[in-house]
Amino acid sequence: MISLRNVTLAYPNGVRALDNISLEIGKGDFVFLVGHSGTGKTSLLRLLYREMAPSYGEIIVDGIRVDRLKRRRVPALRRHLGVVFQDFKLLTDKTVWENVAFAMQVTGAHTKDIMRQVPRTLDMVGLAHKSRMYPGELSAGEQQRAAIARALINNPKLLLCDEPTGNLDPANTTEIMELLQRINLKGTTIVVATHNQAVVDRMRRRVVRLEDGRIVTDEERGYYYLGLGQSQILSG
Amino acid sequence: MDWGRVRFFLGEVFRNFTRNAGMQATAIGTVAVTIVLLGGFLYVRAVLGGVGHDLLQQIRISAYLQQNASNATIAQLHAALLKDPRISSVQFVPKSVGLKELRKETKGVIDLSILTKNPLPDVFRVSVHSASDVPAVAAAVRRMPGVANVVYGKTIVRRLLHLGAVMRRVGIAVIVLFLLVAGIIISSTIRLTVFARRREIAIMQLVGATSAFIRLPFICEGFLDGLLGSLLAVGILAVAHAALWSRVFRALPWLHIDPRLVNTPLFFAQLLLVGAAIGVIASWISVGRYLRT
Repeated sequence: MISLRNVTLAYPNGVRALDNISLEIGKGDFVFLVGHSGTGKTSLLRLLYREMAPSYGEIIVDGIRVDRLKRRRVPALRRHLGVVFQDFKLLTDKTVWENVAFAMQVTGAHTKDIMRQVPRTLDMVGLAHKSRMYPGELSAGEQQRAAIARALINNPKLLLCDEPTGNLDPANTTEIMELLQRINLKGTTIVVATHNQAVVDRMRRRVVRLEDGRIVTDEERGYYYLGLGQSQILSG
Repeated sequence: MDWGRVRFFLGEVFRNFTRNAGMQATAIGTVAVTIVLLGGFLYVRAVLGGVGHDLLQQIRISAYLQQNASNATIAQLHAALLKDPRISSVQFVPKSVGLKELRKETKGVIDLSILTKNPLPDVFRVSVHSASDVPAVAAAVRRMPGVANVVYGKTIVRRLLHLGAVMRRVGIAVIVLFLLVAGIIISSTIRLTVFARRREIAIMQLVGATSAFIRLPFICEGFLDGLLGSLLAVGILAVAHAALWSRVFRALPWLHIDPRLVNTPLFFAQLLLVGAAIGVIASWISVGRYLRT
């Protein structure tokens, strides 16, 4: 699904946000990107949905050469993937239903497809009963679920999440991660950039750790810290 | 036809348009003022053009013949003048008629009875289709056999032609300036709307909306600004045309308006088209610039 080969992202001031990264992520995988702030997690995600282009290297997402993608081809790439952010990025003057439908409307979907798909997706994220409410009337967890519904509305094969639980309390965090797991079980590839050690340690999925723009560890069923669960750190 | 899509699109346009109502009013007002000035300017230009045209139409070339020109020469000359496609009419004034005319014009001022013989030559009075041909035709006639001299309002023709050329150039410059001002104002308005909707635009881009789709509601907004502004202007001009110009023409009956330039319905349609086009072009540029960054 995702293939990065020798990818470097350097800013004009010479700082390297990512330094010679190579990474393969298969179809249906669930991967955590971990590391301190400023280690390049968000930059890596941005390269995948072509918010930025790499300075060097090759990036392939779902068979598309993203590093060479022309500007006018970017919308086609983005219709194949969903993106979720820490701050939800919902439109406050639109209801939950309208926010989710918006993603289909602006890509030219037919009304009957929208009428069919939106209730189904809202049902999946558990927000069907709040579809007429505005984001300001929802809890943070519900807002994030609405954002996930919007990311999923076009049935993407890949879901990119940038600190999806960063603004949530532990109970909402658990709910969101369970939702992401359910989505993953249906075959969607999920990449989550996070600081949240508890989440990573509890879920025991693949963990890619970044430091100073480089991949330092890549473990199947890993912990936030190399080979150590949270309880072991606390007791040690 | 998917009415849901149409409704969504019109909703977006309406939302854009009402979000910055104050700024839209400013843009529409500016376009209206610009188009009123432009329309007024074109009116004045048409009036002055009409006056100039009238003056030039009255200009005739007088070809004075040699005293000894024979009837055959006169007939040949007449035929040659009629053959020239630039010439619209030729009038032969024999010296006897010329003297009569002179007597009539100078009656009570100069006593012509002292003349023992007619000193005037025969004259051809030549009119041309286009005033700009007067100097060339005059020169050609001067070279024809039997012609002693050629007289026309050389200075006034030259000045009027020169004035016309300058007016055209100044006119184009002024029009371009007006249109630029209107374009810049609409462009600024659209930029404000784009800025107010930057979150929505970011989400549209994130979920894969094409640039054309994102652009279209803003283009429609610019189109509406331009069209409404020029409609307002056309209304003002139509009222002014009905109320004011008839009085102006009564007060200055010698004014003639060139109907080709201000044939009212066509003229107003052109102003509407110019206003709408300015709106579309200005918004196209300002959204395009935002989407590229």
